[in-house]
Amino acid sequence: MKMRSKRTCFLAALLAGAVLLSPLSAWAGSCCGGGLATSLILPKFYSSMVDVSVDVEKYNGYWDHQGIHRADPAGSDLQQYRLNMGYGQRFSPRWQASVVAPYVWNSNVYSGLSSRTDGLGDMSMSLWYEALDDLSAWKVRSIKDMTPSVLIGTSLLIPTGISPYDEVNNSFDVTGRGFYRLDGNVLVSKTIHPWSATLSLAYGTYLERTVNREYGNYVEPYHKQLGDRTIALFSLSYIMYFGTGGDTITGIASISQLREADATINGVRDSSSGFKKDTVSGTIVYSSTDHDWIVRMMWNHAIMFDGWGENFPSTDIYTLGVSYGFR
Amino acid sequence: MDSAKMRLLLLMLLLIAGCGGMMDDIVPSDKDKRPAITCGITGPDVCQNAPDFTLSDTLGNIVSLSSVVSTPGVSGTVIYFTMWCPICDMHMSNMRASVLPNYPAVRFLIVDYVSGSVAMARNEELSNGYSGSGFTVLADTSQAVLDSFHATMGTTIVVDSAGVVRFNEDYKDGARLRSVLSALP
Repeated sequence: MKMRSKRTCFLAALLAGAVLLSPLSAWAGSCCGGGLATSLILPKFYSSMVDVSVDVEKYNGYWDHQGIHRADPAGSDLQQYRLNMGYGQRFSPRWQASVVAPYVWNSNVYSGLSSRTDGLGDMSMSLWYEALDDLSAWKVRSIKDMTPSVLIGTSLLIPTGISPYDEVNNSFDVTGRGFYRLDGNVLVSKTIHPWSATLSLAYGTYLERTVNREYGNYVEPYHKQLGDRTIALFSLSYIMYFGTGGDTITGIASISQLREADATINGVRDSSSGFKKDTVSGTIVYSSTDHDWIVRMMWNHAIMFDGWGENFPSTDIYTLGVSYGFR
Repeated sequence: MDSAKMRLLLLMLLLIAGCGGMMDDIVPSDKDKRPAITCGITGPDVCQNAPDFTLSDTLGNIVSLSSVVSTPGVSGTVIYFTMWCPICDMHMSNMRASVLPNYPAVRFLIVDYVSGSVAMARNEELSNGYSGSGFTVLADTSQAVLDSFHATMGTTIVVDSAGVVRFNEDYKDGARLRSVLSALP
């Protein structure tokens, strides 16, 4: 029974981690840079974890301000590559923290221009509290078996990337947004073997900053604050056991919505700045028998039709990640 | 976390914080660091004489800045640099809706610096819905104009009828652009 409980907690955390490690969105390498950091969640019985992943994000047009999907310029090939390095540490049975740092390569090829730049992206530090444990079973026998795991967390995005407000030559150099952001996160996950469902909600607010330089040119200083950001993600998973040792493969399908409100400049709303994006994802996660090694492959796809985004690039993101947990 | 791990984490953070230019975002400055500008010489900065250029528009017409600004009845010229990205589209849509109709004596030039030919620039103008918009789209196929104005995506420049730069900033909500255009003689 204890073994099953451990496995269940592990799977719940694994699914939660797979969800949160999904790169929900990034600003376009084609125009705005924006290497992103996500979060890392440790399985229940691990003291620490190291995670390394590689994202390949390919740009396939954008939605304009009316939600009409438009193609990128003919002859263009716009991609961003990210190497994400994460470390998570457990402080107590219910508290854990993590840090994720991306390194970003922008590759922009147009019919009349090409550019390749790289640099550190924006880092993220997170703190999580495991409020409820999922005590799910293979069969629901009582209401207690319906208890989900609930994680409550906060994340701080740190502007370690190259932003438009740094000493840059042009927009191709950008790998970060240049603002601190504080997020509140809630993650609810429930496993009834072999199925699992996860709902993740995040609300973030950027901290106001002063700007005295744009793309390398000093300007009259002003105050700027990006708009509040909300992310909602729902995923459904199916866990398969194979072999005699307990290796698992988990298939995850998810849908996410990202919204960012308009920025303000000196307290006045900039109506040309907000955006939204909806995506779907498919993820395959392999976990070794002892669960120390986790390998995941993910495909995040923007629905490239009118109305599935506004004022934002549409992309496909391919991710390959490996985690190792220390007990 | 044991002390060794804590020290390693702090060391990593210090190394990262020391990376070039990052402190500009970690601790943003509110200092006005604009350099002193020499007015009256050719350059992209406010009060300087705008570098002249000659480009083809997307219909094959040859357009030079000097001829545009000196056209009788033209009080000023707006030059916007685009790479046909979502932010560029948002800026151009905003300008099209809230600026362009209110300044009939101002010419609006859009400089496409990513398309490698006039035909491709025309294709982008059409596919992004800017045909007949009131903008004149120019093909800067060698990025010579981009370089001469030290511009990038979203750079917006206003040149008055004397050929002097009156505004050179990243486009925002159009408010400052409108105020500069309203002040043109």
